[in-house]
Amino acid sequence: MKTIKSKQLLQGEWGLLIILVVLCVIFSLLSGTFSSLNNLLNITRQVSIVLIISIGMLCVVLCGEIDLSVGSTAALVGVGCAITLKTTGSLPLALLVSLALSLAAGAVNGTLSVFGKIPSFIVTLASMWVIRGIALVWTNGRAISGLPKGFAFLGAGHVGIFPVSSILCLLLILIAFFVLHRTKHGVYFRSIGSNLEASKLSAIPIRKYKMFAFIIAGLMSGVGGLITTSKLLSAQAIANEGMEMDVLAAVILGGASLSGGIGTVIGTVLGALIIGVINNGMNQLGVSAFYQQIVKGLIIIIAVLVRRNKDK
Amino acid sequence: MAEVLRLSNIGKVFGGIDALKNIDFDLREGEIHALLGENGAGKSTLVKILTGVHQADSGEIYLYGKKVKIANPIEARKNGIGVIYQELSLINSITVGENIFLGNEPVSSVLGKYDRKLMYKESAEYLKQFGIDIDPKELVSNLRMGQKRILEIVKALTLKAKILLLDEPTTGMSNKEIDTLFAIMDSLRQKKVTMIYISHYLDEVFRVCDRATVFRNGKNIATFNVGESNTEQIVMAMIGKDVKQNRTIPVRNFSGKETVLEVKDFQTSIMKSPVSFSVRKSEILGITGIIGAGKSELAHSIFGAAGPHKGTIKIFGKETDMHSTIEAKKHGLAFIPEDRKTEGLFLNDSVGDNIVRANIRMIEGKNHLLKNKLKTKITVDIGNKLEIHPLKPGMPVKNLSGGNQQKVVIAKWLVGDPSILLMDEPTRGIDIGAKVEIYAHIRAMSMQGKTTVIMSSEYEELLNECDRILVLQAGEIVGDLDPSKTSKAELLALSLGGKYK
Repeated sequence: MKTIKSKQLLQGEWGLLIILVVLCVIFSLLSGTFSSLNNLLNITRQVSIVLIISIGMLCVVLCGEIDLSVGSTAALVGVGCAITLKTTGSLPLALLVSLALSLAAGAVNGTLSVFGKIPSFIVTLASMWVIRGIALVWTNGRAISGLPKGFAFLGAGHVGIFPVSSILCLLLILIAFFVLHRTKHGVYFRSIGSNLEASKLSAIPIRKYKMFAFIIAGLMSGVGGLITTSKLLSAQAIANEGMEMDVLAAVILGGASLSGGIGTVIGTVLGALIIGVINNGMNQLGVSAFYQQIVKGLIIIIAVLVRRNKDK
Repeated sequence: MAEVLRLSNIGKVFGGIDALKNIDFDLREGEIHALLGENGAGKSTLVKILTGVHQADSGEIYLYGKKVKIANPIEARKNGIGVIYQELSLINSITVGENIFLGNEPVSSVLGKYDRKLMYKESAEYLKQFGIDIDPKELVSNLRMGQKRILEIVKALTLKAKILLLDEPTTGMSNKEIDTLFAIMDSLRQKKVTMIYISHYLDEVFRVCDRATVFRNGKNIATFNVGESNTEQIVMAMIGKDVKQNRTIPVRNFSGKETVLEVKDFQTSIMKSPVSFSVRKSEILGITGIIGAGKSELAHSIFGAAGPHKGTIKIFGKETDMHSTIEAKKHGLAFIPEDRKTEGLFLNDSVGDNIVRANIRMIEGKNHLLKNKLKTKITVDIGNKLEIHPLKPGMPVKNLSGGNQQKVVIAKWLVGDPSILLMDEPTRGIDIGAKVEIYAHIRAMSMQGKTTVIMSSEYEELLNECDRILVLQAGEIVGDLDPSKTSKAELLALSLGGKYK
C-alpha cells in the first residue's frame, strides 16, 4: 500500500514539487547565497519570461500542436516596441505596435496550420526564421538601445520587494489557471488534443480554438519580448534565441503531452521553476556554462523518466 | 473438373466458441467459388486457415489430393495460394513496379544493385497481359482504389498463385473497374487459376461465379451451382429461417405529420451517390445496408462532419447549410456515432465530463466559471434516467462496460435536448439488457416528439423498433419498407443487391 502511495505521489504535480524542493535544498546546502530572499525573488524574476511564454505554449500543446516561433516573436515584438518608442516617444503607441505584432504572429501561425492544413511543426519552424529575419532586417542587425529609463519598470522595477515582472507573471498564471482549469475554454483545448474526431462530433469549434491557442502563444511571446526589452533597456533581433526550447522543456517537464490533451498550469509553473532553479543554482555555485547545459539536459531526462515509470 | 483443394471436417475454436465446425469444402480447378454469409459466419476464418494465418484445430486440408499443413503465410504462398485482402497491402510511396516486385527484386550484379530496367520491363508485361492501363513507373499513391486492387491481384499472380482468394475485391471500385476485374478473373479462369470470391453483393456472385457456398454460424450450410439457383434460395441459406417483425408496439403511420428532416439530392465528398429522403416528427426511421453501403457516411454527412454538401437539407421545412457539426448541433441535431471509443467518448475523462462535453454552456456560470456541482447533478439526473451503472460522475468513462459507455454517449446528447437524433449502430457490441433499455429510451424520446434516424445492420432491431426502413446499397436508397410488411430475408436480399419477390 505504501509503495503505491509513494508512486502516486511522484506522478502528478506533487512529484514535480518534490523535485523542486529537493533541488532547492541541495543548492542551499552547497551555496550560502542560494536561499537568500533576494536570490529567491531573483529566480522568480529570471523565470518570468520563460514562464509567461510557457502559458501560451501550453495552450498550443494542449490542442496537440506546437509553436516553435515563440522566441522569434518575442524578439520581433521587443524590436518593434523599442523602435516605436525611440522614434515617437509614445509608450501607448509602442504597446499598440507590440500588440499588433504579437497578434499577427499568432494569427499567421494559426491560419497556416489550421486553414492551410500544414503541420504546426513545419509552419512554426518556418515562421521562426521568417519572424527572426524580419526583426534582423528591421534593425539592420543592430541593437536598439537608449530607451527612456522609465521603461525599465516592467522588466527591472520593483513593487516593495517584489519584481514587477514576477507580479505580472503571477497574474497571468492565475488568469491561465482559471481559463484552462475552470472554464469551458480549457475543456475545449484538452478535448481537441485528446480526441479530435470525438471533438468534431461533439460540435466543438476546433478551428476557432486552435486559432485561439496560436494567438495566445503570440500574445504571451509578445509580453515576454517586452519584459526582455525593458529589462535591458535595449532590443536586439537576436534576443530570446533558443527560447522555444526552454519553453518546451518547461511545458514537457510540467507533465504536458506533446501529442495533446494533457497538461496543467501548475505543472508548467513547476517545470519552469525547476529549470530556473537549476540555472540559478549552478550559477551561484560557479558551474561553467558548458557543464550547465549537460546538467540541465540530464535533469530533464531523469525527471521525465522517473514520472513515466510511475505511469505504468 | 479436377479437384484442386479439399477441406475435410475442419474445425476452429476461438475462446470456446466454434468459429468453424465440421467444414467440408472443395474447389475445382478453374472455378470461381463464392463464399457467402453474414458477418461472423466464418468466411474470414476459413480464408485465414487457407492462408496459414490461423491453424485449424481439427480436420485435414488436401491440395491436389495430397494432405498438407499450412503453418504460416509463407507456406501458403509456396503452395500456390495467393490472397488479396480487403485492406490493401501496397506501399503508397513507391512505384507500381516496385510494389509488384517488392521482396522479390531482380538483382543485376553481385553488388546487389537492383535492376530497375528489368523490373519495369517485366512489370509492364504483366500489366499488359491483363490489359491494364497503368504505368509501372507511377506512384501507387496516384492510383485510384480500383486500380490498386487490380494491382494487388497482379502482384499475387507474379508469385505464381494457383489458388487466389479475393476478399471483397470490388470495395471502392467504379463500375468500369469492376468490369476490368471480372475480365481479368475470366482470363484467369481460362488459365486454370482457381478463385475463392468473397463478396457481399449477390449480383456480382451471379455475374461471375460458378459455385457458391453459404456459411452460417461457422457451418457450411449449402453449396449451390450459381446458374441453377436464385436470390431467395441463397438468402434463406444465409439467414436460416426467415424472421418477420415480432413487435409489441404497432408500426405508426406518419403521413400528414410535419416533416422534420428532409434531404434532397444530398451528397458530400464521402458519399457514393446522392440520396433523398425525409423523416417526420416523432418518427423512428431505420436505415440499413451491408458494411460499405454508406450508412455511416450518410450519418456523418447529415451531421455536417463531412464538410460541404451538394443538394439541399431542410430542417423543419427550412433550408439549412449543414457544413459543420457546430451548424448541425445548432439546428437541433444530435449524432451518436458507431465507434464510441474513437468517435464518441473522451475515454480518460470522467463520466460527468463526457456527458457535459457537447453542451458545456449548461454548466457555465455568469462569470464563465464552470460549476462542478451542477455537472454532477446533470450527470446523476440523466444517468438515472438512462440507467447508467455504476453511476459515479467522477469515474473515468473507460472503466464502464460497453453498454454503459454507449448510454453515456446518448446522455451526452440528450442533455442538450435535441430534436433529431442520428444513431449509427446504437446497440453494437452491447449486452441484451442494455439494448432493451436503449430501445425503450428511443421509444420514450419519440413519444416526447423527438425524431430518430437509426443506421443499423441488425435487421431484427430495425424490424422491431422502427416505423419505416430504408435500404442502402452502394450509397443508393433501394428500398423504402414498412416493417410490418417486410422480413429479414427481404432486407438482406435488397442490401445484397439481389432482386426479391
